[in-house]
Amino acid sequence: MTSKAKNPATSFSRFDLVQRVQHVILIVAFTGLALTGLPQKFALESWAQAMIAAMGGIEAIRVIHRVLATVLMVEVVYHGGEITYKLFVLRLRPTMLPVLRDLIDLVQKVLYNLRLRQSPPSMGRYNFEEKLEYWALVWGMAIMILTGFLMWNPISSTRWLSGEFIPAARIAHGSEAVLAALAIIVWHMYSVHLRRFNPSMWTGKLSRHEMQEDHALELESLESGKAPAPIPPDVLRRRLRVFIPIAVIISGLLLTGIVWFVTFEQTAITTVPAYNIQVVPPELETITTPQPTRQP
Amino acid sequence: MKLPKLKTGVAWAAVALIAIGVLIAIGAQAQPALAQTATPQPPNQTNETCLACHTNRSETFAFASGETKSINVDNAALDQSVHGSHNPNGSVACADCHGTAPHFQGKAPSLRAFVINISKRCANCHSSEGSGQADSVHSRAQAAGNLNAATCVDCHGSHTIAKPGQPRAAISETCGQCHQQIFAVYKESVHGAALLEQSNPDVPTCINCHGVHDIQNPTTATFRLNSPQLCASCHADKALMSKYGISTEVFNTYVSDFHGSTTTLFERQAPDQPVNKAVCYDCHGVHDIRAPDDPKSSVMKDNLLATCRKCHPDAAANFPTAWMSHYIPSPDKNSLVYYVDQFYQVFIPGVLGFMLIIVFTDIFRRVSDRIIKPNGKAGKGARP
Repeated sequence: MTSKAKNPATSFSRFDLVQRVQHVILIVAFTGLALTGLPQKFALESWAQAMIAAMGGIEAIRVIHRVLATVLMVEVVYHGGEITYKLFVLRLRPTMLPVLRDLIDLVQKVLYNLRLRQSPPSMGRYNFEEKLEYWALVWGMAIMILTGFLMWNPISSTRWLSGEFIPAARIAHGSEAVLAALAIIVWHMYSVHLRRFNPSMWTGKLSRHEMQEDHALELESLESGKAPAPIPPDVLRRRLRVFIPIAVIISGLLLTGIVWFVTFEQTAITTVPAYNIQVVPPELETITTPQPTRQP
Repeated sequence: MKLPKLKTGVAWAAVALIAIGVLIAIGAQAQPALAQTATPQPPNQTNETCLACHTNRSETFAFASGETKSINVDNAALDQSVHGSHNPNGSVACADCHGTAPHFQGKAPSLRAFVINISKRCANCHSSEGSGQADSVHSRAQAAGNLNAATCVDCHGSHTIAKPGQPRAAISETCGQCHQQIFAVYKESVHGAALLEQSNPDVPTCINCHGVHDIQNPTTATFRLNSPQLCASCHADKALMSKYGISTEVFNTYVSDFHGSTTTLFERQAPDQPVNKAVCYDCHGVHDIRAPDDPKSSVMKDNLLATCRKCHPDAAANFPTAWMSHYIPSPDKNSLVYYVDQFYQVFIPGVLGFMLIIVFTDIFRRVSDRIIKPNGKAGKGARP
């Protein structure tokens, strides 16, 4: 396990600045969406009503929720472009893809935890814990965007789907939100805050010791000097000539899609429904102020 | 002669004193009546005094407006009224309502003004009803100058006042005297028809929704936001609804959906703000509520799209089924919603349980590492 590299580095780069900024946006949007969304799911509970009142009322939190949802969708588009760039232009290894090895790591880790195994599994750049969280987020995001669209545009959606999809979307959106919030509290909080604070999303780096524990295989690979050779500039240029126009078109379409999503329909009238009720017959409506009269 | 003269003076003084005493005594008796009106009164103005002139008379009284009113009083009918001799508190005297003579002439320029003036005296005894009425739409309309607005007398009558609400249909019929169009619509509704045709004791009359004396403006945001509670006061009452086989889940299912959650929040947090989310009567109708299986019902399946379009003008044919029609999702009704919910009932504990198992095994390893020192190595150094 111990590497024999000549000059062992003391810290290892995990996340560049852009990734860290994305994470901060994700924190803000996710927290905001949970704070404005969960009280809507539990609107009849007193704690939810206190939160709604504190944030300016139900109509206000609906607007906040939709603004944050839009921010998050834009971030998803950016992230998609970034991954495509890394995979197809930089040709980096798809280290976040789940593989069979992750399942083995999981079993070995549990066995190790139960003291049924001497050493923990050596894991790669992203271990099964991180992959689980990342793909849970991808799954959650897909469900939330899909069901969010149905609820945001119920009239348009029911042109194509049975009306039942709208309340079903409401259940799925709210349940998925509960799952996401609890998963963050249990999984994310434990693995990067409680167990040991993982500073890499803030500093961008992990110490050698932290790498050894969570990403031993990646550490070994880095220290053995197996880092991919830099791409020659002309190759990079050629790849970018293909990537940039495609990326511009696709992200342009996706961003247009987001605008379309959020402005698709006017679901309801903005006024209170009108009633034309004749309260009393016209002859009784006339105001008959007594005329000053002379005494007989 | 001096002494007899003196004696005569004392005698006169005594007579004078007695006379003054008697006058004071008489005056004291007459005092309350005098205090009420500046004009001299007969000492005991009993009903007999009034009826002496107001029985079997064909004359009319002419108001300044030119209107006339018979001065005749049907004493037999008056005595049968709630204010007659059957009244456990004793019968009410003419003067209690009309004041004492000499009448109202000159004070009321018209018959209507006369009725309004008399109605103001009802609160002398019926103070809580009076103060309620003083805060009602009718009183406000009158204060704004509409003399047609209902007074006590308009609803309860005058000399022939009967116990109110007997029969129950009389309540709505009374309102219908002025609110004719609304009454005509109400009469055809599920509530109105049951009241007027079957003397149903449970359906709402006008006053069950609008109140009795302190009737408030039903077009305010506050009334609108309170209205689901109003409907629920009967429709969430299990004992009452079981008589008619009506589901009491209507209120819960409304409140747990988008429209109901929103109006409930507004009702609790900003009850005076207008909210465009539907309340019961937006879909079911106001005075024209019909049974949902009535072909004319606004919530009948064939009519539902038109009802939705009142607020959702672009709604297409499938849109009404986005509302679960007060049904709780089940394998038979709204099965997609039911199964999505079932999925998450399993999925959420499944995912979290899996995560918790791994977290707890990790905690176990870390804690046990500190207790059991690994072979040959310092336990503390093995882990950060």
